[in-house]
Amino acid sequence: MNEIQTTLTKTGEAAAPALQLNTVRKRKGTGLQSTMDMIKNVIPYVLFFVVWELFSQLNGRIQMFNPLFLPAPSLLVHDGWALAQTGIITDSLLASSMRIFFGFACGATVAVLLAVLMSKFSMLERWMSPFLTLVSPIPSLALLPLFIIWFGIGEFPKVLLIAWTTFVPVLVNTVEGFKSVPSTLIRSALSLGASQRQVFTRIMIPSAIPNLLIGAQISLGLSFSALIVSEMMGADSGLGYLIVDARNYFKVTNMFVAIILIGIEYSLFALLLKLLERKVLAWRRGGIGEAVEKVR
Amino acid sequence: MKLTVEKVRKNFGERTILQDVDLTIHENEFICILGHSGCGKSTLLNMVAGYIFPDEGEIKINGEKIQGPSRQRGMVFQDHALFPWCTVLENVAFGPEVQGMPKKQARETAREFLSLVGLEAYGSHYPAELSGGMKQRVGIARALASHPDILLMDEPFGALDILTRDMMQRELRRLYEKLHTTILFVTHSISEAVYLADRVVVMKHGVVAEVFEIGIQHPRSFDSPGFADMMARIERLLMEDEEEVIA
Repeated sequence: MNEIQTTLTKTGEAAAPALQLNTVRKRKGTGLQSTMDMIKNVIPYVLFFVVWELFSQLNGRIQMFNPLFLPAPSLLVHDGWALAQTGIITDSLLASSMRIFFGFACGATVAVLLAVLMSKFSMLERWMSPFLTLVSPIPSLALLPLFIIWFGIGEFPKVLLIAWTTFVPVLVNTVEGFKSVPSTLIRSALSLGASQRQVFTRIMIPSAIPNLLIGAQISLGLSFSALIVSEMMGADSGLGYLIVDARNYFKVTNMFVAIILIGIEYSLFALLLKLLERKVLAWRRGGIGEAVEKVR
Repeated sequence: MKLTVEKVRKNFGERTILQDVDLTIHENEFICILGHSGCGKSTLLNMVAGYIFPDEGEIKINGEKIQGPSRQRGMVFQDHALFPWCTVLENVAFGPEVQGMPKKQARETAREFLSLVGLEAYGSHYPAELSGGMKQRVGIARALASHPDILLMDEPFGALDILTRDMMQRELRRLYEKLHTTILFVTHSISEAVYLADRVVVMKHGVVAEVFEIGIQHPRSFDSPGFADMMARIERLLMEDEEEVIA
């Protein structure tokens, strides 16, 4: 069952690049061709669910194992719809989205601010670096029980855990970004009459943004784990809670519904981040896509 | 404008990079500093720009000691150092803008200087979309847009292919004759120095070995009377002690 869970999240993740591919091709192809391309892109996803459906149906007949363990997608849609009508799904999605949004935003903001201060005041960096070396190897999930003891089981420890998970990779990458600004860029800005402050806002920050976004992408995956685990421990709402609740009442279909929703939600957040990146880094060219043109 | 370098010495750790360097540059002069890599020519240029400071001696512009980088000394780098997240126009407008010119007016100035280097059609492109020669033209336009008293150029054409390089040399000479900006140009190419400069300062092992007055009529070419002779003289000077080392 574990394997299925991982495949599911993987298809969720794969959705983002696939969408990207579509938009790239749309610009090139004519109407008919782009529809053909779209169909070609969708086939693997359709095939995945068709095979799953057939396998579950077959298992229902010959009883290789308990059919309850692996419900068919058609049953999931049916039960999922029933669940949605009780309003539980909307509530869970909303609760999870709020937590990840606030946790991620707080963690990233504090990390960027601290990175700015660290690059301005070398004193602060000297004192912060050893501290970071101490705490950064610790998986943030290990801190959850401690957070629950300290702050109870309300929203605060969950948001704090997500924020903390986001904070470390964003901080480390942004600091690295500030350090790797090419010195000739700083020099040329100074020779053009820029003040120290202008050098910072107009050279250092834009140079560090690609690294910041790399940090944010690493963080997003980690903070989703933090979200789900924190909802599994001491929560009464959210997608993680839905899974634990379903386990307690042996509702395997609900578990699958929650797992799929997690995949979808992660893909959405990853897509948002991708769109932001494409907007901010429009000046970037190159990469494998432009290195070699494919023979059609 | 007058730039004076007086008894300048610079060490990096134990190694002496420059010693007892004296040089005077007058208004509207085009000076080339020529030498092998590691002779200290870029170090001297970086000190004039104000990025690093001499250990001994002084560098003065108009009688005032250089305290750091300033917009009166524009710099063009070998790797062009354009801001990759700014369009070509924004790059050229950067100088006027940070000096407090209103945005619209700065763009207007930038457009003027872009057309001066023949790139008015590329204002909205990003540097990554341009060829090496075009990037360097933008670099020159950007430095000129701040109206510097002196333009410092650190092997600006060193990374270009030979044909582009020839073209850029003609282009730079044309710009110089139009604007009469004082130029201090660092290179390791003898022909480039003889083609461009009024005076060529040859440096060896951290000291000024000799200063050549070129005095050939412009436009110059390899066929100009005295061109080949001048190149041979400079080459002999540069190669002299290389043979000693081998012997």
